Parts: sequence; C-alpha cells; structure tokens
Amino acid sequence: MHEYSLASAIVTQIEEIIKKYNVIRVKKIIVSASPYEMVIPDLLQEAYKIITHEMEKFKDSELLMEIKAAEITCIECDYTGEPTEEGDPEFAYNFLCPKCGSRDTHINMKQMIIETVDLELSEE
Amino acid sequence: MVENKQISVKKKAYVVNDAIAEKIRNTMKTKNKRFFNVMGSIGAGKTLILERIAKRLSPYYKVFVINGDVATTIDADRIAKSGATTVQINTGGGCHLSASLIQKEFDKINIDDYDIFITENVGNLICPAAWDVGAEKNIVVVSITEGEYVIKKHPIIFKGAQIAVINKCDIEGEDFDSKTLVEDASKIKSDMKVICTSAKTKQGIDDLITALGIDIPKRE
Ligand SMILES: Nc1nc2c(ncn2[C@@H]2O[C@H](COP(=O)(O)OP(=O)(O)OP(=O)(O)O)[C@@H](O)[C@H]2O)c(=O)[nH]1
Ligand SMILES: [Mg+2]
Ligand SMILES: [Zn+2]
Repeated sequence: MHEYSLASAIVTQIEEIIKKYNVIRVKKIIVSASPYEMVIPDLLQEAYKIITHEMEKFKDSELLMEIKAAEITCIECDYTGEPTEEGDPEFAYNFLCPKCGSRDTHINMKQMIIETVDLELSEE
Repeated sequence: MVENKQISVKKKAYVVNDAIAEKIRNTMKTKNKRFFNVMGSIGAGKTLILERIAKRLSPYYKVFVINGDVATTIDADRIAKSGATTVQINTGGGCHLSASLIQKEFDKINIDDYDIFITENVGNLICPAAWDVGAEKNIVVVSITEGEYVIKKHPIIFKGAQIAVINKCDIEGEDFDSKTLVEDASKIKSDMKVICTSAKTKQGIDDLITALGIDIPKRE
C-alpha cells in the first residue's frame, strides 16, 4: 500500500508549486503512469483524500491518473521506448523489444509524472 | 474576481525521494563506502543472513545496519549481537523504507566511522521496489518455503535487483525445491547474480559477501 507515500509525495510537490501563486484552492491534479507501475488508481485517490482531507487549499480537489504507454530499455540493443506487446507469458514484466526481438529488457519503473494542476486564483 | 488557471508541471512524482537517494549514493561513492539494500519477503531470513554477514565481517570492517520494521526493535537487537552497530526504524504501518528515512539516520552518525552500510527493508516484495534508498546494490531474499512461484509472482522487485538470494536451502528435499527459484531468478534478468544460501548452516554466506564485492581477508 505505498500509494499513501506516493500521494503524499505528490501533495508536497504541489504545495511547493502553489506558493508562487495567489491560490484560493487546488481544483484538480492530473498524473500519468503506465499500467505497470505498481499503482492502483483507486488506492492513490483514496490516499490523496485522506492526506488532503483537512488541508484548506485542497478542499474538494481531485487527483486523476491517466494511463500512458510503458517504456522499456533493451539490455541487448539499448532500444528505449514502447514495448511491442504484452509481457512474456511466464515472466510478466519481460517485454519484447520491437527492435531486436530480445526479451532481456528492463521495464522503466517509477515514470509517474505530475502533468498538470488546475488552480483557482484570486486576481488581486 | 476569481481566475482559473492550469499549470503544466511535468515533474516526476518520485523526484524528491530519488534526489535524496542519489545524494546518498554520491556521498557513499565519494567517501569510498559501501551501501546495500536488502529486501525480501516476511520471514525469508533477511535478519539471520545479516547476522551471519555482520559476524563474518566485523573483525575486519565497521558495519552499520539499519532495520526497517513496522514495530519492535527485535531485528536490530539481534544483529547488534553479531558485532555491527544497528539502528531500528519503525515505520509505524509504512510498508517500505525511503531515502529520507535513511538520510535521517545518517545525519545522526558520522559516516566516516563505518565502512559498510546495510539496510534490512520492511518484509514485503512489492512496495520497497519503488522507493530507492540510495544503495549501490539491491538484494532480494526469498526462501524455498515460499513456494516455487514466488519470483514469477513478484517480478518487479527482482527486475530492480542485482542479487537474488534463495535462502533456507538446508531444508531442500521432497517438500521444498530451490531449482525453479534459481532458474526463475536467472531468467528474469540476464545479469542477475543468484546465490543459494542457508543462513542456518552458513552455506553460501561467503559467496554472498563476494557477490557484494567485499573482500574477506584471509586468516593468518
Ligand atoms: N531452516 C532455516 N531457517 C531459517 C533460515 N534463515 C532463517 N531461518 C528462520 O526463519 C525465520 C525467519 O528468519 P528471519 O531472519 O527473522 O527472517 P526475516 O526475513 O528477517 O523476517 P522479517 O524481518 O520478519 O520479515 C527464523 O525462525 C529463522 O531462524 C535458513 O537458512 N534455514
Ligand atoms: Mg528481519
Ligand atoms: Zn533490443
């Protein structure tokens, strides 16, 4: 259940960013991650709600997770990019390299990115 | 007046943890210190292996072990009896160590007083994989009593490791088999070092120390 740590890492970064603005409240945060990132979107949202529950500037805000393509690095040929297809039937995270056909590939984890944050600003 | 504004952030969610981890890795490298992160399932034998390593190395090296558990100081107390300096982090429900937790412990000591640093991460084959602690190598310990599919079921933590330890090989026999685990650990990553150990009989402990790249001085 490390979604809690992840949600709090996201909130910490957003708090840092909004310092620069005259923020009334945060409305929406969008993050993106591949389906192979060990993040369960519902748990992430749940954790986000618990963390921001009593934070005035995050009241009624939401955290949305978009799914993006996975990225692999091939140990054989150094290809970096999307894998060809699903993982190996036996080893779920050994993806096929589209360039050389090797399954000796490394899936690049922890690629979750905070994409955007929607803010309500005061104009004074 | 109220204005709505969307800000493009484009920053990695893990950036804070990863930056601290990188800093730890650089400090260790600059100071010529060794730092290893031992992960693995609950009860796989992480602590007993570290007791054996600490006992073997402490005549020659100053060893510092950080134990991560939800509660108690049992593991740190056990390893301390083998000649290492130990500290226990209680994560209070947290399922993994993080770079900032490790940095806090390093801030309390003088890094120069030690040669080798080892963390025993929280027993868990999932969450610790995502949280870099700044070690030079990740080691995953599983034992042959966990079933022959434990590696296939938890591929991610193995993808991020350099050494796989298959422990409790002393009870190899009709009920428990190390063969599939050894094969899987080698197949999951071509450059994986796979070591069979028995922390009980000390079989394979010296091989593990060698795989870590630590010299065991020959006795006179
Ligand atoms: N037969 C046998 N028993 C072992 C071996 N290694 C550990 N054990 C036993 O397995 C149990 C768990 O060992 P620990 O070293 O506490 O395991 P751990 O991975 O540190 O456990 P947690 O920190 O609780 O996740 C203990 O009763 C050990 O004595 C081994 O190689 N062979
Ligand atoms: Mg232990
Ligand atoms: Zn390739």
